[in-house]
Amino acid sequence: MGKAVMKSVLPGFGITLGFSVLYLSLLFLLPVAGLFLFTLQMSWADFWVAISHPQVVASYKLSFAASFIGATINAVFGTLVAWVLVRYQFLGKKVVDALVDLPFALPTAVAGIALVTLYSTTGWVGQYLYLWGIKVAYSEIGVVIALTYIGLPFVVRTVQPVLADFSKELEEASASLGASRFTTIRRVILPAVLPALLTGYALAFAKAVGEYGSVIFISGNLPYRTEITPLLIVSKAEQYDYNGAAAIGVVMLAAAFILLLIINSLQWWASKRG
Amino acid sequence: MSIHIQQVNKHFGNFVAVDSVNLEIKTGELTALLGPSGSGKTTLLRIIAGLEQADSGIVKFNGEDITTQHVSERGVGFVFQHYALFKHMTVFENVAYGLTVRPRKTRPSKAEIAEKVHSLLKLVQLDWTADRYPSQLSGGQRQRIALARALAVEPKVLLLDEPFGALDAKVRAELRRWLRRLHDEINVTTVFVTHDQEEALEVADKIVVMNKGRIEQQGTPEEVYDTPSNPFVYEFLGNVNLFHARVKHGHSTIGNIHIPSPEHAEREEEQQGLAYVRPHEIEVLTQPTENAIKVNLDLVTIVGPVARLEVLTEIDEQLIHVELSKVQFKQLGISKGDNAWIQPRYSKVFLGEGI
Repeated sequence: MGKAVMKSVLPGFGITLGFSVLYLSLLFLLPVAGLFLFTLQMSWADFWVAISHPQVVASYKLSFAASFIGATINAVFGTLVAWVLVRYQFLGKKVVDALVDLPFALPTAVAGIALVTLYSTTGWVGQYLYLWGIKVAYSEIGVVIALTYIGLPFVVRTVQPVLADFSKELEEASASLGASRFTTIRRVILPAVLPALLTGYALAFAKAVGEYGSVIFISGNLPYRTEITPLLIVSKAEQYDYNGAAAIGVVMLAAAFILLLIINSLQWWASKRG
Repeated sequence: MSIHIQQVNKHFGNFVAVDSVNLEIKTGELTALLGPSGSGKTTLLRIIAGLEQADSGIVKFNGEDITTQHVSERGVGFVFQHYALFKHMTVFENVAYGLTVRPRKTRPSKAEIAEKVHSLLKLVQLDWTADRYPSQLSGGQRQRIALARALAVEPKVLLLDEPFGALDAKVRAELRRWLRRLHDEINVTTVFVTHDQEEALEVADKIVVMNKGRIEQQGTPEEVYDTPSNPFVYEFLGNVNLFHARVKHGHSTIGNIHIPSPEHAEREEEQQGLAYVRPHEIEVLTQPTENAIKVNLDLVTIVGPVARLEVLTEIDEQLIHVELSKVQFKQLGISKGDNAWIQPRYSKVFLGEGI
């Protein structure tokens, strides 16, 4: 063979990997590392006081609970939307398909103000709900609605291609073996879309935890009740309490990381069975 | 379970998939629906299964009208070309599926299901794969599992849609022999769709040849091969040579040779027709003989034990395919460029010009 050096069939590994690492470092690793460095300036006691203040703790509860509820709602109805978009032909399908991406494109503040207009006690929808004693804007329900709104496209766009690829023959096979429609959905279709659904769920959840713009208008930001954690970080930063803001940020980061890890391992487990 | 199909029609937009088809399939028979793609054979099979609704017409199982019955209630086993196994389930779970989805009242116990699944897996000779996932099996194994899954619900009718279409030649040949033996063992009424005439001839008790949504001919493999009822069936079942012929008084004249055509004995007037001669029904001679066509040997292909010759007639350079055994060909001692004489041993003449 002599000194011939085997050249890879797919050249460019070195340069693309190098670029990726640099790119990710500048955009992602440096800011995150900065966040941690910032908190290192604090003593443990200060750090603990900053992150365990009752107002902050209340905001964690709201942020994670509302994100969880929003992502769960999206998992159900996003899958339904994806199903309708994949399986049926109807007038205006393209429009509906495009509308799904709206939360990606619309500035979150615009969405927030629109939601308030709709759901405040004098709004188009809110006034009727108010008659029933349901107050949406300036309550926890408002937070959930805003977080559901921004998470929808994540579920639809991850589940849609998997459903589109799903072979009709599998459903026919299930039916020919005597399964009812419901059994077919439960035992054949859902397991097939589960990994994608979990991905969409994780993305919707992660997006919701970090969401700021669309929530702060509809939530009313009542301390201890409807303040989300990102709002507290912003307000601390506005008061030049950068250490406090960073400390809460670190908690959010750690929590989000752990939750995503759990969801990813679920997803790995689900796809491993395939 | 016998199947009766009466006046069944099915359209897809402007395309006529099944055109007024009548068909009767006897209990325990292994029937092949044979035809080119677009001939309506798969649609007809799916109508029998209930996966497709006929626009009009009636389907009966054992005399009972089941036209409007849903596929899940018909008690059919359906095997798909691309297996359609549930990827997230093990082989065992796949085969057990039809039993586990039954309502609680009629569902067998876990032990009964396990016993049934293992006996089916033994039947398809894949007992050792029970705990594997379909992705860990080869194509041929997957199709056998799909068959076991279909048989688990003890179907009254087994329907297979191009079951070996996605497999390579060797596995195909093995599996179709195996299917034949399996059918003799379990004896369930079986209908399978294929575009492969060899497969149909080898496996089926009865062949139904379809074209453009209609049934062209049905009969035993021997019947349809030896006495095709029309030019389409003749051309579809194997290679064939066409000669222009004149027919009169039970005799056909092709160029300067005469061959008997007893089916046209009543023909008083001379008529134009086309004579169909299969490549292996042609004798090759090295000496000029009366009643033989002079040809020039243009191409020789030896495929295993068979020699395929392409010869050109001297008069009008018409290309004719001839097939004989390699041994016979060697004995003739001719090679490319040599002259030879050919004599059709058997032919069937269909009247009319340019059919």
